[in-house]
Amino acid sequence: MLYDLRHSDLRVRWLVTLLLATLGTSYLFGAWMVALYAGFSPHKVAETYGPAGEAVMAMQMPPDTTIVAERPVSMAEMGEEMHHVDKDLLVQDTHVHMPMYAVIAACLSVIALGLAIPRWAGLAIIAILFAAPWLDFAGMWLTKLASPGFAFVTLAGGWAMALGYTIVAALAMWQMWLGRKTNP
Amino acid sequence: MKSIILGAVIAALLHITPTVVLVKREDAVARLLPGAEQFTAREFHVSSADSRKLHDAVGWEPPDGMVTFYIGKHQDQVAGALLFMRVDCQHGPLELAVGFDLRGTIRGVEVTKATVEMKPWVLEALRAGLTEAYRGLATDQPPAGADKVKPRIGAMPGYMAELIDKGVMHAEAAYRMLYGRK
Repeated sequence: MLYDLRHSDLRVRWLVTLLLATLGTSYLFGAWMVALYAGFSPHKVAETYGPAGEAVMAMQMPPDTTIVAERPVSMAEMGEEMHHVDKDLLVQDTHVHMPMYAVIAACLSVIALGLAIPRWAGLAIIAILFAAPWLDFAGMWLTKLASPGFAFVTLAGGWAMALGYTIVAALAMWQMWLGRKTNP
Repeated sequence: MKSIILGAVIAALLHITPTVVLVKREDAVARLLPGAEQFTAREFHVSSADSRKLHDAVGWEPPDGMVTFYIGKHQDQVAGALLFMRVDCQHGPLELAVGFDLRGTIRGVEVTKATVEMKPWVLEALRAGLTEAYRGLATDQPPAGADKVKPRIGAMPGYMAELIDKGVMHAEAAYRMLYGRK
């Protein structure tokens, strides 16, 4: 074992606690943001990352000739912008978010290394932590390029992120503060 | 551990700041389509060939192949049209509303959104009178607002002005090539 959080210095446990609290808070706001801009259902995710426009599900390939459609809209409709992520924005999102997700996964993995759990469980937790952002962005790109049906992959990524954090935070809090074994 | 901390700092620095609304879309519509009380959305699902033409003309393709013009009417008479245009850069996205009058010349330009980081730069460019340079431009006249304000503003506001020029140029091309089609 690299190190053991149960027997670690008070300062280390304090650092880990604050890190988990900060990450947990940012995850809660992240979930709120997803609810505001993308939604938690495959349909909503597909609307956000899939092809744009009225015929969102029906027309993914560019038509042979430009198609024009006209419909009445209200002032309110013009004001409320539907949050839609096109390819250029997704390139930007992937570029700026993937490194941050990697750093968060690495931080949580370092905490996981200090947990008193079997080797296989540690490997599984680390795999979940790093799989989550891959699934998240793979889902977005597949929804964009292949089929809106892949929206569920993004949702799976989001839930994997929440699951990984919850497992690490719960085990760390328990082992550091509640179920702690004192040094002989 | 050092590399993790360094990585976190770099990732935080690279992160694009959140978007802020500079002008509400409703206010931009009211300013660019004055008097209009009825609106229609004219949506173009652009073909590959037309996308290529736009790209060849101004180095831009409609995001996801869609362009939407909002047409304002006053007492059943068309008062003008506008479209919202996004311009991306490494600091994040800008959103413009570009309004056209009945002759097809630019009635006005409003910067509706920017990021927190870009906001002060954009405001400096706007205070220097950037958008006045676009008024009355025909769709085949290249916008040159940045050249006019650059001597009076800083480097980053100047860069923002160039991006706004670019957005106006894209809107002109979209209007020129698509708007009149039925």
